[in-house]
Amino acid sequence: MQATQPAFFKQGPKPLTRLLIFSTLSIALMVGDAQLQMLGRVREQVAIVLYPLQWLATTPFAALHSTRDFLTVQTDLIAENRKLNDQLLAAQAKALRMDGLAAENAQLRALDYRRTKAPSQLAEILYSGRDPFSAKLIVDRGDNQGVQAGQIAIDTQGVVGQVVRTQAMTSEIRLITDRNHMVPVMTQRSQVRTVIYGRGAGQLLEVRYLAPNADIKPGDLLVTSGLDGTYPSGLPVAVVVSVERVAGASFPRILCRPAAGIDTHRFLLILDPPPAGPAYPAPAAANASAS
Amino acid sequence: MPVTSHLLRPVRPSLIILTLICALLFNLLPWQLIGNHFAPDFVALMLLYWTLNQPRRVGVGWAFVLGVCMDVADGNLLGQHALAYSVITYLVLSRQRQLNIFPYWQQATAVLGLMVFAQLLMAAVRLIAGADLPAISYFLGPLLTAFLWVPVSNLLLAYQRKPVSESL
Repeated sequence: MQATQPAFFKQGPKPLTRLLIFSTLSIALMVGDAQLQMLGRVREQVAIVLYPLQWLATTPFAALHSTRDFLTVQTDLIAENRKLNDQLLAAQAKALRMDGLAAENAQLRALDYRRTKAPSQLAEILYSGRDPFSAKLIVDRGDNQGVQAGQIAIDTQGVVGQVVRTQAMTSEIRLITDRNHMVPVMTQRSQVRTVIYGRGAGQLLEVRYLAPNADIKPGDLLVTSGLDGTYPSGLPVAVVVSVERVAGASFPRILCRPAAGIDTHRFLLILDPPPAGPAYPAPAAANASAS
Repeated sequence: MPVTSHLLRPVRPSLIILTLICALLFNLLPWQLIGNHFAPDFVALMLLYWTLNQPRRVGVGWAFVLGVCMDVADGNLLGQHALAYSVITYLVLSRQRQLNIFPYWQQATAVLGLMVFAQLLMAAVRLIAGADLPAISYFLGPLLTAFLWVPVSNLLLAYQRKPVSESL
């Protein structure tokens, strides 16, 4: 009967038969998988067949994910970098302040050392004079602290200037670089006595009217001679920078750099006035006192 | 397909295989990104569609094979999907002539029932195997699948509805 049936009607086993076959197979698979754990190989084979599909399905999402991760990492890194930069700046500012404090401390110690040798008082620079034609500093010591006009201001390296005017709480210091400010000096090496002149704020100092054959050369240290009775002797004032001996001129042109850090520090030492010397002889012709 | 005046082109076997592979691909998409339970079961959807429309080509055998594939892909108990797919495919086949002429929305309700039945079958299998009872959201997937029935059926029929050239 089956053999005579046309091929068109051949549909194989009935659906119910198929269902029974395949559900039995399914249950067999389940039992084999759950109870006997003997279907690892079957699973592996099917997984190999499925792998391309799995790859195809997950790759775009994985790529999207990794891209997002990449971008997130970028922004995170940028933010972190910015934060670290800020921290670095803050730390650097702190370190700079530390450096400044250390330098200031060193200077104060040096000033203190000087102070033990000569009676003096410490003054802090408030501001520099605004007048562009004169080199002046304003410090925070005045009449109330016993500062008088004529006192000498020094720092750790040398003479800075002279007190020219005092107020109650402040006083003006005329720097040695001020125009035509004079300091009686002598060279430390050859003991040539002379006077050094200021040439204006920020300029080098000049030694004028020295004989062409005077024993002076670049590198010589000029110290106060103490002849005027105002500047104590032996304070460094300037270092000779250049000596030009011009054939036609009567005097050599000698330029010097101030030994003190004129424009640098915050603290100065104002020396107490020296004990008054003996009175000048009555017919004094010309004294070399610096103003 | 529901009763229609359209003349339909015959379906090529390659189309059936292609759609089933695509369904497998869709099921393998990383649905866990939006929540595992919301994933519609595209494989079951396509199986039901082809069983309903091409009962002589697609049947319980295909359901079994695809079920085994799904089991391996999901890392489930081997045979769980195979059993469920086989059973719902059989149910469709047994009422195929009746279901086939229903309008789409009625077919969709039938699909919903079949899908829920499949989920229940799988849940039962897992319970017997010793798993816990799943949450109620487990049955959201069948709902989505049923919603997809109408657009997917129309989409696939659109291919068959292409006008046949005059020369034929």
